[in-house]
Amino acid sequence: MQRVAVIGSGVMGGGIAAHLANAGVEVELLDIVPEGAEDRDMLARGAIARLHKTKPAPLMHANFAERIRPGNLNDHLERVSEADWIVEAVLEDLNIKQKVFRDLEKVRKDGSIVSSNTSTIPRAQLVAGMSKRFERDFLITHFFNPPRYLRLLEIVPSPAMEPERLEAFREFADRRLGKGVVTCNDTPGFIGNRVGGYWMQCAINAAIELGLTVEEADAVMGRPIGVPKTAVFGLLDLVGLDLVPHIARSMLATLPEGDDYRRVVAEAEENGIAAIIAGMIGAGYTGRKGKGGFYRLNRTEGGKVKEARSLATGEYAPANRKVALESPRAAKQGLRALVEYPDKGGEYAWKVLSQTLAYTASLVPEIASSISDVDSAMRLGYGWKRGPFEMLDLLGVEWFCERLAAEGIAVPPLLAHGSPLYEGETQLMVEGIYAPVPRARGTLHVADLRKAGEPLASNASASIWDAGDGVALLEFHSKMNSIDPLTLEMVAEAVELVEGGDFVGLVIGNDGEHFSAGANIGLALFVANVGAWEESDKMIRGGQLAFMTLKHSSFPVVGAPSGLAIGGGCELLLACDAIQAHAETYTGLVEVGVGLVPAWGGCKEMLRRWTEAGPHGPMASVTRIFENVGTAKVATSAFEARDMQILRDSDRITMNRDRVLADAKAHCLELVDGYEPPEMATHHLAGPSGRVGLQMAVADLLRSGKATPHDGVVAGELAMVLTGGETDPTEELDDSDILDLEREAILRLMKTAPTLERIEHMLNTGKPLRN
Amino acid sequence: MREAVIAGYVRSPFTPAQKGALAKVRPDELMAQVVRGLLERTGADPAGLEDMIIGCAFPEGEQGLNVARIVGFLADLPASVAGTTVNRFCGSSMQAIHIAVGAIATGAGEAFVCGGVESMSRVPMMGFNPLPHPGLYERAPEVFISMGLTAENLARKYDILRETQEAFALESQQRAVRAANDGGFTDEIVPIENGGPVTTDGCPRPDTSLEALATLKPAFDTEGSVTAGTSSPLTDGAAAVLVTSADYAQRNGLKPLARIRATAVSGCAPEIMGIGPVEATRKALDRAGLELKQMDLIELNEAFAAQSLAVLGELGLSHKKVNLDGGAIALGHPLGASGARITGKAASLLRREGGKYALATMCIGGGQGIATVLEAA
Repeated sequence: MQRVAVIGSGVMGGGIAAHLANAGVEVELLDIVPEGAEDRDMLARGAIARLHKTKPAPLMHANFAERIRPGNLNDHLERVSEADWIVEAVLEDLNIKQKVFRDLEKVRKDGSIVSSNTSTIPRAQLVAGMSKRFERDFLITHFFNPPRYLRLLEIVPSPAMEPERLEAFREFADRRLGKGVVTCNDTPGFIGNRVGGYWMQCAINAAIELGLTVEEADAVMGRPIGVPKTAVFGLLDLVGLDLVPHIARSMLATLPEGDDYRRVVAEAEENGIAAIIAGMIGAGYTGRKGKGGFYRLNRTEGGKVKEARSLATGEYAPANRKVALESPRAAKQGLRALVEYPDKGGEYAWKVLSQTLAYTASLVPEIASSISDVDSAMRLGYGWKRGPFEMLDLLGVEWFCERLAAEGIAVPPLLAHGSPLYEGETQLMVEGIYAPVPRARGTLHVADLRKAGEPLASNASASIWDAGDGVALLEFHSKMNSIDPLTLEMVAEAVELVEGGDFVGLVIGNDGEHFSAGANIGLALFVANVGAWEESDKMIRGGQLAFMTLKHSSFPVVGAPSGLAIGGGCELLLACDAIQAHAETYTGLVEVGVGLVPAWGGCKEMLRRWTEAGPHGPMASVTRIFENVGTAKVATSAFEARDMQILRDSDRITMNRDRVLADAKAHCLELVDGYEPPEMATHHLAGPSGRVGLQMAVADLLRSGKATPHDGVVAGELAMVLTGGETDPTEELDDSDILDLEREAILRLMKTAPTLERIEHMLNTGKPLRN
Repeated sequence: MREAVIAGYVRSPFTPAQKGALAKVRPDELMAQVVRGLLERTGADPAGLEDMIIGCAFPEGEQGLNVARIVGFLADLPASVAGTTVNRFCGSSMQAIHIAVGAIATGAGEAFVCGGVESMSRVPMMGFNPLPHPGLYERAPEVFISMGLTAENLARKYDILRETQEAFALESQQRAVRAANDGGFTDEIVPIENGGPVTTDGCPRPDTSLEALATLKPAFDTEGSVTAGTSSPLTDGAAAVLVTSADYAQRNGLKPLARIRATAVSGCAPEIMGIGPVEATRKALDRAGLELKQMDLIELNEAFAAQSLAVLGELGLSHKKVNLDGGAIALGHPLGASGARITGKAASLLRREGGKYALATMCIGGGQGIATVLEAA
C-alpha cells in the first residue's frame, strides 16, 4: 500500500490523511471546490495547514505534511487511479457518499480497496445499487478521533472480498497504521459507539437520578472502574457535547424496536438531562472546543481555575478535587467492592455497570462474533483498562446474574450459563463452548510471560524474564517505571545473567503506558536533604556503572520504549545498542527541569551521537545538544527523537504498541551474529572558550527574560560538561572523563537550594518550577 | 591621486532567513549570480578586472574557503581575476569598496568588483563554533555583547522612547513598500534562479502598524524597549558594485553613478557600537572637505531604530533625507552585503534624485563605524 486517496478533508479526513502520512504513505487529499473559490484546492490545503496547529498534533513530524498532496475532486479525480486504497470521509449523507462512490468507480484501478469512514450508515445501504466490483472491494473502516492517537479501527468487511486481500489490508492497518483492528457486524454504531454511547447515556442518567455532582460521578466512573480519568462528563467535554444528541439520533433512526438503547435515550428526555445538554449546546457550552462544558477553565482574575457545572442549577463553582465519597477508595479492593459499597457512589457504579454490562452481553452475537472483539474495541477505542466481559468476570458472572435477577432485570442468555467468560486463553462462545481468543502473530507482552511462569529474577522495581529464543527481557514496574537503586541492581543482574551464557541478548521494555519517567528524584531529594552527599555520589556512580556495563557488555541490548522515556529513562535508551521505539515515544533529557544535568551518561552519549552524525567543529554538535538538553526538550514522537539523535538511523520504529516488544526481540536477535560491543568514544572538546560561547548565549536569554536565574546556573553546569571542563581542543578526552564531569556537575547542583526546590515542586505538583 | 567611481550597482532580493525564498540557496552561488548580473548590466569586460573583493561577516562553511575566489569560478570570471574575502562584520562590503578605492589611488589596479554576501539561514550569526577568548570575556564582557543590548544601551543613553523607535520603524516599512510599488528597486535587483526565479524582497511588512508594533515583547531585555519590530531581521542576500578609476570608466564606455570623494573608519566603545557612524561620518566629511548639510541624501544602515535615531540625533539630522527607499529594518540586513547595498543605493539615488553629494554610513559590531562620501558623477 504505497498510495492512498482520502476523499473529504474535514476533521476526520484530515486526521486520517495525517496518520497515513505518519505511516510513510503518499496521500492524495481531495475535497470539493467551494463555490467561487479562487484556490480550487482550498479545502484540502486548509486542512493540511490546520494539521500543524491542531493539538494534540496529528502529524508525528512536521515534515510529514509533505507526503499529503492537496487537490479537488473536479480537477484531480484521476489521481485516485493511482491509489491502492481510497478512504471516503465526506458528510454523513447516503446520497452524497454514493455520488462520490460512483465517481470513484470511473477512475479507480482494479485491485484497489474503497472504504467509508461512516459512523452511522450501514454497509448494506452504502453498497445498495452499486456495481458488483464495488460491492466486492468496499468495506467500512471506522477510525476514532483523533486517528493518530485512538488505536481502535472498526471494520465491517466485504463478504465477497478475497480473504487474502482482506488479510493484507488488516496487516497494513495493524503494522503500518498501528491500529487494533476489530471486525464488527453491520449494525448501528458498530461496537464502540453502541456500547460506549449506551454506557455514557446510562452514566449521565444515573448521575441525575441519584443526585451526584459531576465531580462525584467522574470520581466513581473513571479510574475506579478502569476507565480513563476523564470518566463521563470529562469525556463529553473532550469529544463535544453535541455528539450526545447526534449519536442518540442516529441510533434511534436505525436500531431495532425494543432495543434497550431506546429506553435510556427516552429516560434522558424524562429526567431532564437531554434538555440541559441541548441548552448548553445552544449557549455555546459544547465542551473544550466551546466555552466549556461540564467543566471549564476560568481564566478571569489572571489565574486558571478549573470549575465544575452544577447539574441542578447550571452554575459553575471551583471543581471539588477530592470528593467526599468513600466508594472510589473501596475500589482498590476490587470492582465488586466498589459496586457493593454502601454509599451513593457504590450505588451509582452498580446502576451504570449493571445496565451497561447486561446490555453489552445481550449484543453478542448481534454486533460481533465474539466477546473478545467487544472487549478489544472498548479497550482500544475508549481506553478502558478492561472490556465489559472482563469486568463481568471480575464481578463474578454468577453473582452478577443473581443480583440482576434479584432486582428483576432480565439476565441475557450469554450469561445464563453462569460460567466465567474467559478461561485461560479461551473465551465463552454463544454456543456455550470455549474457543481460543485469537491473537495476532508477532506480538509479545510481559503479561503473557507472567501468566506462563515466574521471572528469572525480581525485586520491587524490576524483573527479568525469559522472552524465548535466547532473549532475556528486563521489565521495570516501579511507579512510572522510575529508576532507583533496586532497578539498577536488576540491570546489573540482567547483564550477569546474559553473560552467564544462557542468553544471547537483552530487551528492555514493559507493557506499561510509559517506558520510564527517569530517576527516582524523590529518593535523590531525601538523600540531599539530609546532606548524605556520599550517598548521592553513590547513586550517580551506581547509574553510570550500570549503564556503562550494559553498553559495553558482550551481547546486544535493545531498548523498546513507548510513552515517556525521559531523563534517566532516556539515558538508559542511549546506553542500548539499538532502539526499537513505539512511534508514540516521548523522549528527551529533561534533567534541567529539576535543576540537574544528565549524569548517567546522557551528556556523554549525546556528544558521541552528534559528533558521529552532525556537523563538525568543536562547538557545532555541542551547540545543538546544549539547546535540546538545556531546554529539556522532549520529542513528541519517535520520529522527532531522530532529529535529536536519541534515535540513530539504525534504530527502528514500530507503529503498533502491541508489536514493540516482539519487534525489539527480533531486532535483538538480528544483532547477535558477529556482535561486537562498542568501543569507548574519544572526544575533542573546546574547553573554556566553548563554555564562554554558551555562557554568552545564556546571558542573553536571561536578559530577555527567556531564562530564569537558576536556569542560568544549571545551564552553566551543562556547558561545563558539554565543553569538557578545563580541557583544550588539542587534548583527547574519553567517555569516563565526561562521566566524571557529569557527576561533579550534578553534585554541585544538588547542593544548591533552588535545585532542591525544583525537585520538591516537581514531586508535589508534577510540574517544573521556574525559579 | 587617481579618482574612483561607482560604475554599477546590483543586489539580490533580500529575503528572511530560514523561511525566505533564498534560504536554500548557497551563499557562494547567490553571490555569483549577483556578480554575473552586475557584469551583464554594466557591460564591463570581465577580463579587465583586477580583483574581486567580497565582504562577509561570518566567512565559514558555504561562505568560507575565501568565498571571493570561489565566486569567481562560479561566475565564470577569467582565472586572471583575483579574489579576496574581507571581514569587518556589518561593514565588510563597504570595506571592500574602500580597499578598491585605495588600490586605484595607488595605481594597484583599475577595475574591481566589490560585493558582499551573507546567508544568515545557512551560517549562523556567531558562526558554527563560537570560541571567544575566556580571559577577555572575564575582563571585558562588553566586547562580546549581543547587538540587541547595544541598541538598548543607546535607547537608554539618548532617552529614545519605544514609541519613537516604532514610528521610525513604521516609516522605514512604508518607504520600502512605496519604493517597491513605484519600481524603486527594479534597476538594482537581479533575479536569483532557484528552481524558479526569486525576484522580490521578502522582508518588508506592508501590514505594519503602530498598534501591532506596540504589542510586541522586548526581544533582548525584559526591561527594555527594543523589539523584533524595531530591529533589522536576519536576512539572506548579496550585493555588488563595480568600482573603477574614472579614467577606466571613460575608456571602456561605462556609466559612473557617482565619484567616491572620501572614506573613513572609526572605533568606539563596543557596548554602544551603534553610534559608530557619527565619528566615521565626521572623519570622512572632513577628508572630503564637505559639511553634513551639503549632503543631499544619506544612506544609514538601520541595524536598529534606536541605534539609527541615536546617530541622527548626534549628527543633528532629520529622517527626511535618510534612507529614501526604506532601510534595513524593512529591507533586511544580510550582514556582509549591507555595505555594498547602501553605498550602491546612495550612488544610484544621486542619479535618480539629482543631488550633488551623498553619504553612506553604518555601525559595526565590536564598536566601529564606517562611512563613504559620494559626489554625483
